[in-house]
Amino acid sequence: MTSVLKGNFQAAKSVEAKDKPEADDLDSRFEREAMKKLGGSIAYVAKKKIKWAEDENP
Amino acid sequence: MAKLLFINPVVREEDVPRHVPYGIALLAAIAIDKGHLVQVYDANAWRLGEETLREVLKADAWQVIALGGITTAYGSIKETVRIARQECPDAVIMLGGGVLTSLPHEIMNWLPEVDVGCVGEGFITFPEMLAMVDAESRDWHRIAGTISRNAQGKPVLSPQRTLLEDLDTLPYPAWDLFPREEVYFKNSQMLYSPEGMLAQRRLDINVSYGCSMICRYCYHLGIAGDMRYETSESGEVSVSFDRPGAYTRTIRYHSPEYIVRMVRHMRDKYAIDYVLFLDENLMTMDQHSKRLWMKDICRLWHESGLAPIPSYDAAGIMNGWEGVHWSGTSHATLCTKEILKTMRAAGCSHLVYGYESFAPHVLKTVGKGSTPATNERSFFWTLEAGIRPVPNVIIGFPDEDFQSIRDNMAAFDRLGIQVRPHFATAYPGSEWFTLHRDSLEAQYGGNLESYILDLGDATKITGIICKKFNAVELIGLRELMCEGNYRLLDVFESAWKRVHQERPLV
Repeated sequence: MTSVLKGNFQAAKSVEAKDKPEADDLDSRFEREAMKKLGGSIAYVAKKKIKWAEDENP
Repeated sequence: MAKLLFINPVVREEDVPRHVPYGIALLAAIAIDKGHLVQVYDANAWRLGEETLREVLKADAWQVIALGGITTAYGSIKETVRIARQECPDAVIMLGGGVLTSLPHEIMNWLPEVDVGCVGEGFITFPEMLAMVDAESRDWHRIAGTISRNAQGKPVLSPQRTLLEDLDTLPYPAWDLFPREEVYFKNSQMLYSPEGMLAQRRLDINVSYGCSMICRYCYHLGIAGDMRYETSESGEVSVSFDRPGAYTRTIRYHSPEYIVRMVRHMRDKYAIDYVLFLDENLMTMDQHSKRLWMKDICRLWHESGLAPIPSYDAAGIMNGWEGVHWSGTSHATLCTKEILKTMRAAGCSHLVYGYESFAPHVLKTVGKGSTPATNERSFFWTLEAGIRPVPNVIIGFPDEDFQSIRDNMAAFDRLGIQVRPHFATAYPGSEWFTLHRDSLEAQYGGNLESYILDLGDATKITGIICKKFNAVELIGLRELMCEGNYRLLDVFESAWKRVHQERPLV
């Protein structure tokens, strides 16, 4: 493991670089890869961006 | 001595982290030289989220938490200081950099967690702020170049800080405090030239401050002599930047000896193979020095054994080099054929040109001091010298029209370039921000902070300053430019004119 703190003294506690929680789930991986190639025939829905309010009287 | 935590905020999340934050690295080196206890958490490099940030904040009894960055880091800074105040209620939270300098009063009001801000250049101000922490005082107003709150909680500027005259007195940036091997060297590649593509161990340097030009969209945020403190009739002091008829500049640069000695040090210590000059405009310095600066840098590059010697594979294709390739920024009118050749011989691989437009009537309004002819001339001079020009273009200038779009498309065809124009964006500190602030605020429902949070690197559209086209039209027009689609441009122009004959633009 690697410390994320770098300095000229030893901090009281060390903090190690860990995988970011939820960073590697399938949806996140898909969105990351899709974003790199966005355009042409590639498009995707970033689920976190959706704002939807259900109409109470459809 | 102060126990200090630097946090580099997250910026440009759509890309991998590519650049050690030069300003923070310099300030960290200055703080270490003054004897302070310094740790850096490079949140932009690690990108580990809130949980790790909270762990870092709890890792020691920090007396000072210092953040800084450009305007586009504002969202990350806002979130970071909120969490920092929760975890470290007694720490002094300091903020600096362009994000604060461009709008010091607004930022202090939006971020109540920040105790004190460093306005403009921090080389002298920041260590004085740390000394005040050591002295257990909080009289920030006694230190020039700060903004803090008065007894009523209102942000107040202290007197303006003068710029550091002799840049060579600065230490080298504290690159040791950043994850070079873990993050940055892995992202060394720069897809602007074959050498940039092959770079394995790149670091960046910034060896000059200032620019002689008065580009209306550009901002320097106090480090180029562009910032003035002005007192209103009611006695309130505020910062002011470029505006029509009021331009001030200070040009400063490191000596060629300092620069090459530093790069030699980087080569010896970190085994770098590539250096990116982050400087605004290398050619301004070259012209200011009567054409000696760049030439001397190149001469010393050779004399110090830094000029790259290529190696080749069995098929005769370059696969690496001994030495250090480099790249930076140029200017269409200020470069010369001779210096470009000299730069290439010393290992320069690409130069970024802010051509912005190939339309004469648009360029005239930009303040760049260039013309379509000097754009094209510099493009071919650079190619002839063996350097790859990177031709940046912008769409959505105030005077953008169908003619300027056609002028640009024709230039793309003539020069054989593939370009995806940036959108004209009025960043705080620029003349266009000053002029269009009310309109930009109106586009964001009267909420300036929303505009600041929305700002990115101008690859997506935000607030617009174009007189003729709205945001949707600019997005479509950019696509047509990229495709070279003259047919659809004609179709759209006819439709656009029909609409605006019925409903003329105000």
